[in-house]
Amino acid sequence: MRNSESRVRQISFAAIAIFAIIAIAPRSISAEGGEPSRADKAASLAAWFKIATVLQNPRCLNCHQLTSPLQGDSRRTHVPRVVRGPDGQGVGAMRCGNCHNDMGNNPTSGTPGGLHWQLAPVSMLWQGLSAAELCRSVKDPKLNGNRDGEALIKHMEDEPLVLYGWNPGKGRTPVPVSHEKTVEYMKVWVAGGMACPN
Amino acid sequence: MITLNVNGKSHELDVSPEMPLLWALRDRLNLTGTKFGCGRAMCGACTVHINGQAARSCSIMVGEAAGKTITTIEAVSGKVAEAVTTAWQKLDVVQCGYCQSGQIMSAITLLNGNKTPTDEDIDLSMEGNICRCATYVRIRHAIHEAAKSLA
Repeated sequence: MRNSESRVRQISFAAIAIFAIIAIAPRSISAEGGEPSRADKAASLAAWFKIATVLQNPRCLNCHQLTSPLQGDSRRTHVPRVVRGPDGQGVGAMRCGNCHNDMGNNPTSGTPGGLHWQLAPVSMLWQGLSAAELCRSVKDPKLNGNRDGEALIKHMEDEPLVLYGWNPGKGRTPVPVSHEKTVEYMKVWVAGGMACPN
Repeated sequence: MITLNVNGKSHELDVSPEMPLLWALRDRLNLTGTKFGCGRAMCGACTVHINGQAARSCSIMVGEAAGKTITTIEAVSGKVAEAVTTAWQKLDVVQCGYCQSGQIMSAITLLNGNKTPTDEDIDLSMEGNICRCATYVRIRHAIHEAAKSLA
């Protein structure tokens, strides 16, 4: 995280300058074919660091875990103890849907909820990944549910469990970057060729 | 108006869809066998069956449970339920009894899905049901006993 944080500062300054230039100059690439310009690639990389802060936020990371989800801003062990099971939705009498509502958060019990509440697939395990490793993992179709750039953008736009991050219920801090901004960053990232840090 | 199917009967309730199912069961339908322990899905005293699967009724909302088959401790039935309650009685599991509706409902779900649970299976399935009288040892024995009788 330390590396990424100082990187973010460096790249942010560069990105501000570059975004300013891009705002004035016409874009030079299209979604299909056409190599992204250097400016677009730089913007793509800068956007990735913003996206990484979203994905590494507890609202996302708490369920992108191997065996057990985490709880809360403090990312404590999930109480009561639950495990992934064969389908990512729990085992025996402790299935995720036994407490978590498809229809959304329960304001009385404090249990968060969303459609098909479950752990993210094992291929989307993000705990402990650096911004660079996370980038490579997210854009790999073998790991990301066979999604290309456009599908990744759509995933961030529409997927109910993704949207949960911005509406997590009382006592949980929503993702600090707005959903709208996050989708914008995704578009910049994809348009610039899904650049990853080294 | 929300329609709940509870223990084989349909009930029309004029309640908010966000109302915890537990409240509807206890306060509106007078089915008080299911208990309020914590209201936060952390103790399991409120466990019922929704479509045959254990569910924490303090956490599951009425809107979520509408249209599904809800069964409470008062009406749970079948070979597995009989095996569990028989074992519970045979081994004198119950002390104060407050948690036991929930324990029994969870145990039935466990055995429905797994007729030969290991100790680890029991740990994982019964994890959400707390007993302040610490009858855990007897609960474990009773589940093994019920499994044996179903073999």
